[in-house]
Amino acid sequence: MKNIFKIAFRNLLRYTRRTLLTSSLIALGVTLVIVFGGVGNSFRSEVIGIITNSNLGHLQVHKKGYIGSMDNLPLDLVIGDKGLEGLRKTLDSHPEVGSYSERIRFGAMISNFASTTNMRLTAVKPERESAVCPDLPGRIKEGEAGPAAFVKPGAIVLPQNIAAGLGFKVGDEVVLVANNKDGSVNGLSFRLSGISENIMGPQGKDGYIHIDDARTLLRIEGEEVTEVAVRLKDFDRLPGAAASIKKELAALAGAGQAAGAEPKPGAQPGRGAKAGLEVHTWEDLSPFSSIAKMVTLLIMVVRLVLVFIVLVSVLNVMMMSVYERIGEIGTMASIGTPPNKILALFLAEGLSLGLLSGLIGGAAGAGLLLLIKALKIKFTFGNMDLVLSPAVALGEIALAIGVVLVISGLASLQPALKASRMEPVEALRHV
Amino acid sequence: MSLVTLENIKKDYITGEIATPALKGISLAIEPGKFISFIGPSGSGKTTLLNLLGGLDRPTSGRVTVAGTEISSLDRRASAKFRGENIGFIFQNFNLIPVLTVYENVEFPLLMVQELPPAERRRRVEEMLEKVGMADQARKYPGQISGGQKQRVAVARALAARPKLVLADEPTANLDHDTAYKVIGLMHAMKKELDTTFIFATHDQKVVGEAEQIYTIEDGLLSAGIK
Repeated sequence: MKNIFKIAFRNLLRYTRRTLLTSSLIALGVTLVIVFGGVGNSFRSEVIGIITNSNLGHLQVHKKGYIGSMDNLPLDLVIGDKGLEGLRKTLDSHPEVGSYSERIRFGAMISNFASTTNMRLTAVKPERESAVCPDLPGRIKEGEAGPAAFVKPGAIVLPQNIAAGLGFKVGDEVVLVANNKDGSVNGLSFRLSGISENIMGPQGKDGYIHIDDARTLLRIEGEEVTEVAVRLKDFDRLPGAAASIKKELAALAGAGQAAGAEPKPGAQPGRGAKAGLEVHTWEDLSPFSSIAKMVTLLIMVVRLVLVFIVLVSVLNVMMMSVYERIGEIGTMASIGTPPNKILALFLAEGLSLGLLSGLIGGAAGAGLLLLIKALKIKFTFGNMDLVLSPAVALGEIALAIGVVLVISGLASLQPALKASRMEPVEALRHV
Repeated sequence: MSLVTLENIKKDYITGEIATPALKGISLAIEPGKFISFIGPSGSGKTTLLNLLGGLDRPTSGRVTVAGTEISSLDRRASAKFRGENIGFIFQNFNLIPVLTVYENVEFPLLMVQELPPAERRRRVEEMLEKVGMADQARKYPGQISGGQKQRVAVARALAARPKLVLADEPTANLDHDTAYKVIGLMHAMKKELDTTFIFATHDQKVVGEAEQIYTIEDGLLSAGIK
């Protein structure tokens, strides 16, 4: 085998210019795939990180039907005291859950006695919210932003657009007026303690108040909440963890329904009848998940382009190679070289070309990614400031080189078969 | 026992629906260790006959037997194996593999065809290069040596696998007078030393003069051997 590759490599060097041109084209394709994949994945991770670390959390639990009515922020689809107790037990004992934050989301009118507007609010316990959304305090650009107390009782944090629109400044006194679930209206005064950056997503322009204030304003007597945001210990295990939590909540609902009975086989996870809790990952909640899928799709398209580049380039080179060496093939066949070894010689040539190009492209791609990382390129997406910090993923590079190798092998197969099936007497006439 | 037996060999080349006979019924027996020449004008069928003897082509009818094996009935793989073990080829254009050195060209059939162990390959290649006087050029590539040297390498390659039969098609056609004599002398010496049968197809009187037996092919038919 070593000798076959030695001969193949020498044959590649025999047509140096052609090999260099083809190899450069394939290497460029590999570089493009690696850089595009690295930058695309970096962009995706960065935005997902901002969204999940600033407001959504990794997943959320709601009362069944809440998400369908989420635009109205209903206060009658809440997780009640009993449901919350079971949910807390489930989350406290789940090995994948790092932290969780109970929230009350509601709509209210905000006024500084001169101007009034509608807005959405999320009421939280700051220390628990900071554990689920660690980047949230950092996005509060003016005022108090300590992780454990970014919003204290009696204080409110407003998003930039509302604060700017109404001309609010930190320290201003504002009034929130809200309807409770029975329809009665109540109002409460707050001091503006901070102004937060807007970010994309369904909760990117919410204001924050303390959860105790929300209970007072909305006249909630128990502990009911509209949602529970959850942060996992390992984000990469999100699908499995979400499925597992759904299953446990379904079992909990089944137990509640049948007084300790086992959940029915085939019961839909997360659709328990009595507790009626649903689990949604950030992808279900954020419109960015569609953009993330598009980025993944684009990366796949670029990979597909690479496949075509390699296929056409290697096929072309190998067909030329066979055509130019018909006499040589005749010589090899006439002195008794078995057809499978002639096949192996040409396959090895195509594979060597692919390997050489893949390695050059892989190295160039990794180098470019390191350069991009070092340059810390900044750009704005929506209203979020991002810094490109692509990782050099060895798996991605190995995959790109692997794809090149496989396609090179496939592209070489037809010319190699043609060479191995040549009649020696016909081939010798081409000398 | 004959090394080569041809029994009423006919070969037609088909172009469209027209069959052009190249060999019209040739029967012949060749003893081992002979130095034989086929002569005849261009297009008389010399190369066709050599191709059939080497198992590179199949007769339209008749049987070709070499070293006890009827090669005209072998499939492609078996035919390649048989050639690798029993037949050496020397070509008019030398047909050395340009990306291999002199040493590697001689080694090629031992490595790719006979799959001999490295030590045995080395011994045989060095022996053959010594015999043809090319040991000092072993590291050169075909593009770096003269035509006569290339043909000497081709002789070494043909003989390295210890074939029973060497077929040479116009081996001196691309060589000057002196070099051609040297190459013929070399093949003659090799034939004596290794007891290999050499069969030539040639126009060259120098080769013909060295042959032990000469057959004339004309219009696809063989005349009786002379000399």
